[in-house]
Amino acid sequence: MTGLAVYEEIDEIIGKHQEEKTPLLSILQEIQERWRYLPGDVLGYVSRKLDIPSSMVWGVATFYSFLKTEPAGEYVIRVCCNAPCHVNGSVDVLKTLQKELGIKEGETSRDGKFTLETTSCLGVCGVAPAMMINDVTYGNLSEDRIREILALYR
Amino acid sequence: MKISSIEDLRRIKEEAQKRTLLREGKADYRVVVHMGTCGIAAGAREVMSAILDEIAKRGLTNVMVTQAGCIGLCDREPLVSVEKGEERILYGDITPDRARQIIASHLVNGQIVGDWVVHAEGRARR
Amino acid sequence: MAEQERCQVLLCAGAACISSGALKIKEALVRELQKNALDNEVRLIETGCVGPCNLGPLAIIYPEGVFYQKLTPEDAKEIVEEHLLKGRVVERLLYQPPQEERKKFLREIDFFDKQLKIALRNCGFINPLNIEEYIARDGYLALSRVLTEMTPEEVIAEVKKSGLLGRGGAGFPTGLKWELTRQAKGYPKFIICNADEGDPGAFMDRSILEGDPHSVIEAMTIAGYAVGAEKGYVYVRAEYPLAVERLEYAINQAREYGLLGEDILNSGFNFDVEIRIGAGAFVCGEETALIASVEGKRGMPRPKPPYPAQEGLWGKPTVINNVETYANIPPIILQGADWFRSIGAENSKGTKVFALAGDINNTGLVEVPMGISLGEVIYDLGGGIRGGKKLKAVQIGGPSGGCIPVGYLNVKIDYDSLKELGAIMGSGGLIVMDEDTCMVDLARFFLEFVQDESCGKCTPCRIGTKRMLEILQRITQGEGREGDIERLEDLANQIKTTALCGLGQTAPNPVLSTIHYFRDEYEAHIREKKCPAVVCRPLFVSPCQHACPLGINIPGYISCIKEGDYLGALQIIREDNPLPSVCGRVCHRLCESKCRRGDMDEPVAIDDLKRFVADYARQNRIALPVVMDRKRDESVAVVGSGPAGLTCAYYLARLGYSVTIFEALPVAGGMLAAGIPSYRLPREALEYDINQIKAMGVKIELNKAVGKEISWKEVREKFDAVFLGIGAWKSAPLGIPGENLSGVIAALDFLRDFNLGGHVEVPRRAVVVGGGNAAIDAARTLLRLGAEEVNVVYRRTRGEMPAISEEVEAAEEEGVIFHFLMAPLEVIGENGKVKGIRLQRMKLGEFDRSGRRRPIPVEGAEAFWECDMVVEAVGQIPEVESLGEMLSVDHRGNILVDRYSLSTSLPGVFAGGDAIGEEATVVHAMALGKKAAFSIHQYLRDLKPEEEEVIIRPERPKILEEPPVLQEIPRVKPPELPVRERVCSFSEVKLCLEEEDARREAERCLRCDLEKVLKKYQEIVMAEEEVQ
Repeated sequence: MTGLAVYEEIDEIIGKHQEEKTPLLSILQEIQERWRYLPGDVLGYVSRKLDIPSSMVWGVATFYSFLKTEPAGEYVIRVCCNAPCHVNGSVDVLKTLQKELGIKEGETSRDGKFTLETTSCLGVCGVAPAMMINDVTYGNLSEDRIREILALYR
Repeated sequence: MKISSIEDLRRIKEEAQKRTLLREGKADYRVVVHMGTCGIAAGAREVMSAILDEIAKRGLTNVMVTQAGCIGLCDREPLVSVEKGEERILYGDITPDRARQIIASHLVNGQIVGDWVVHAEGRARR
Repeated sequence: MAEQERCQVLLCAGAACISSGALKIKEALVRELQKNALDNEVRLIETGCVGPCNLGPLAIIYPEGVFYQKLTPEDAKEIVEEHLLKGRVVERLLYQPPQEERKKFLREIDFFDKQLKIALRNCGFINPLNIEEYIARDGYLALSRVLTEMTPEEVIAEVKKSGLLGRGGAGFPTGLKWELTRQAKGYPKFIICNADEGDPGAFMDRSILEGDPHSVIEAMTIAGYAVGAEKGYVYVRAEYPLAVERLEYAINQAREYGLLGEDILNSGFNFDVEIRIGAGAFVCGEETALIASVEGKRGMPRPKPPYPAQEGLWGKPTVINNVETYANIPPIILQGADWFRSIGAENSKGTKVFALAGDINNTGLVEVPMGISLGEVIYDLGGGIRGGKKLKAVQIGGPSGGCIPVGYLNVKIDYDSLKELGAIMGSGGLIVMDEDTCMVDLARFFLEFVQDESCGKCTPCRIGTKRMLEILQRITQGEGREGDIERLEDLANQIKTTALCGLGQTAPNPVLSTIHYFRDEYEAHIREKKCPAVVCRPLFVSPCQHACPLGINIPGYISCIKEGDYLGALQIIREDNPLPSVCGRVCHRLCESKCRRGDMDEPVAIDDLKRFVADYARQNRIALPVVMDRKRDESVAVVGSGPAGLTCAYYLARLGYSVTIFEALPVAGGMLAAGIPSYRLPREALEYDINQIKAMGVKIELNKAVGKEISWKEVREKFDAVFLGIGAWKSAPLGIPGENLSGVIAALDFLRDFNLGGHVEVPRRAVVVGGGNAAIDAARTLLRLGAEEVNVVYRRTRGEMPAISEEVEAAEEEGVIFHFLMAPLEVIGENGKVKGIRLQRMKLGEFDRSGRRRPIPVEGAEAFWECDMVVEAVGQIPEVESLGEMLSVDHRGNILVDRYSLSTSLPGVFAGGDAIGEEATVVHAMALGKKAAFSIHQYLRDLKPEEEEVIIRPERPKILEEPPVLQEIPRVKPPELPVRERVCSFSEVKLCLEEEDARREAERCLRCDLEKVLKKYQEIVMAEEEVQ
């Protein structure tokens, strides 16, 4: 995805965080928000630009589960599979999503629209089982409700 | 707007209290939709729009609608509180349809909808 | 005109309303409207009957839809002037529901009443996007007081004095942390708010940030002033976008109002707050890892010391507290440390927020004073367990915490008491688990979580937890080995002492605490390959079969019924259950409680189907042949012909032994014949089952009590092994004065006397004391015998009665009167005969070891009832005196046995059933008899090791592989005898299913077994092919 325009945009993002003492994580988060993942050449560029060893940039990029080095779908669906959701049927939620989207956990649908993942606790245990699509959390999931919700994104 | 002394703060507090407690004269009811992530995840946004819509449709002017955070009873989300003076009724498991019925029954006709009440405070307890 | 029309008044002009004066009201309204010049804006419409004629005359005003009732012409003026002109509803005229209906919403729960909200004081009450609402509730008052009236030292002293401990998990004193940071050299200093709340099931921090963000901003600013910092960071997890949004909004508002930024409130103090968003790493909740993450690095912890107070963010002194801790600060400053100290327990001051999750009715957040009991939180605030199931344990403190079993509901929730039990307060997640939770699976689940989230820096956490997880996975897959539990404990203790950070050090906690409290569940997985909660899928074929103590192939026989092959079904049942006619009537149906169909609508009527095929065979006089193993030389004596003895005899006979049953009573069946009344278990059904066992060559010697008609010594000498299935026939005494009066009788003696055809006195008014099946059987029998009034008193409440609930309901239908929370004090007599009973009213007190509330007397609340019979049914104990002193018994008089082999202290003597004090139900007694039979076989074979055993190849299972068709079929309800026919006879109450209903019911089975059965079938076919 090399291209002058891209690098200009990255420069802009880096510029925004100039004031910060250690902005690496924030910069990567913003790049990801813009392109939905962190391409390898971009990480290299960030490393040169910030004068941080490329190993460290990659280290950070691969440590956090919300950062991706592979392209992700337009909508990342994160299913909570923690204890309270687990006892309330998160396994079925995952199954329904797999069936509906035709992808397995960790995969992206062929049209590039959805990525399916599991996540740690979303903190809405009162309405378990729950999932999050990009920034929006949905609770009290049933098969029907999942279908209704997916329809909003299709 | 800038508060530069403790007196400023007190003044804003008093004004704000007047606004929220006396509701500037006209608002008899304060409807609070509990909109934490849990509430929203259970459908609180849809409830909120239904409430606003129903109030507009009925031309009610004595109602103030606002949002607040989670009140703790996530199991019964979406939750809606209807406050009037000291009285505070908390409704649970509210759908957009139920929200409309609450407007009609409670706000317009003063009838608390017993089936969905999860908690009552103030006069209504008696 | 239509354009201007603003309002419509619908006046009911139905006949009823007109008759009560509606037309007069109309006139009055028209007059008033004209007077106020509203007749153009308001349209008056007469409508047809609106319905509630008893409320008329009535009117509805639109657009609002206000409903006025019982109007008089005088009301017209007020309606027009107040409502139509000024827009104010006339409350006086609104519909008032009757008293009962008004009471309806008082059904509400105690959820809010026992709470004390300090940290959550504003959550759900104010609009988080409006700073003024926060200010209206004393917001930023604490900050202004701190900045204008207090020195930093005074602030720290106040927080220290309050006794506030960090709410994030470790419970470090907050004031001390601030003091250390203030004293530390280095500049600038930093304030961090840890909002990386990652413990599964805990979400109070999210709730506070979303519902009351300013309280955190205010508290961080106070902390900044106290330690001398000018910059604060809130580290929020990426999973909480709404919290980030609201916090961001609040920070900007605070800046606008000059409550953040430079020279706050003209005090010369500067402070600002920034947000850092996490990126999905649980370990970042650990403070040093969090700091690394704020610094933009991989979020890995580092060894401590130095602590963040000395070297924190960028190596500078840093205060790091969690959200809930901060939320407590403003109230402490405003209302003083003394106020805060007055709340809570000895060493844990204030309140704690708990997130209730799992199998509990009210999931959500509660804030309670420290020191409240766990039981109160679960039952009073949480509303108890979902679906009426039983509480098993509570996981507290997330994956770093431990579980607390049901026996400890009185534990006070404070830092010290929890630690004593091996749990921790943690961040306050309470995951409530019911009887359907497998504790081994739970431990595996949490360890999997830790494995997933381990950052990988230190070996004990990275590799150690992996090894532990492997062992647990093995156990839950049915491949556990002896010594696994010890290996787990070993590894756990090593990891605890050597891991680098809190995550690793606490990771083994769930394993250790589940082993501590549920060791037998681990052992069941390892030794018996059983998962008592029926969770670990690899261990069972179908949940119902696994739940059945006898392990009957339930889906197998149900599929036969579906096909109409009733004898095939019976054959399958009799493989594992020699008493199908009995069990089909009196079983308490453990299988149905785990039936997966129950998750959809209702469980399959498994037991009724069993009875159907048993009755089918009996009515058609069909006796099924039983294939016996071979003939063996040894003989075995079975003492007692109850369910345990009969079952043991059946399996021993199949294995080829000569079996003789010694029965003290003149009939065979033990409790089945002499205890259970015939309206529940007709004697013909029992006889049919017993006759089939006799047909296998089992001898039953009636009227032969061991120790009387035949000596114990003789039994032991004559037979190679003995099984004791003597039951528990002695009623436990009430232990109150007057028990020896004539008219006081033990329930079992009474039932035996009657069932064996003896003479029994029929009382006028009877009082049965107890809540078990014996009490209900006695009560219903008395009623049938013609007692005028039968009362059952039980010291606890209905929900806690051990009797089968269907029986209790049936008794009530028939007219038995139940009295709960009553305990007998004294039986009063006259001339040696019962005249009445003095009773004590009870109330529920603290929780006991069984997790039920213990009944305690209500001082001064006694009752005296006249009666002429008192039936004691408060417990049964076995009579073991005739078996000699060599036989060891426990303190309650039950025979002591080895749990796995059922061998007693005497060689060659085994015991089972009620006599060993296990759960006293028919099916459990049978399961123990079955188990003992195989132990006896093992014991006898071990005596002859040279003998070769013929190994019989497993038979090809009968397969009906047709998968179920999911249809909506309601569960069949077997017909019952009408109550009025029941109470005057001993005819069977519950009737058999019709063939058509049985087959339809069989259709409801989901065939959970298919997957595994087919696999097994393939294996057998493949093995056969290989041989060929």
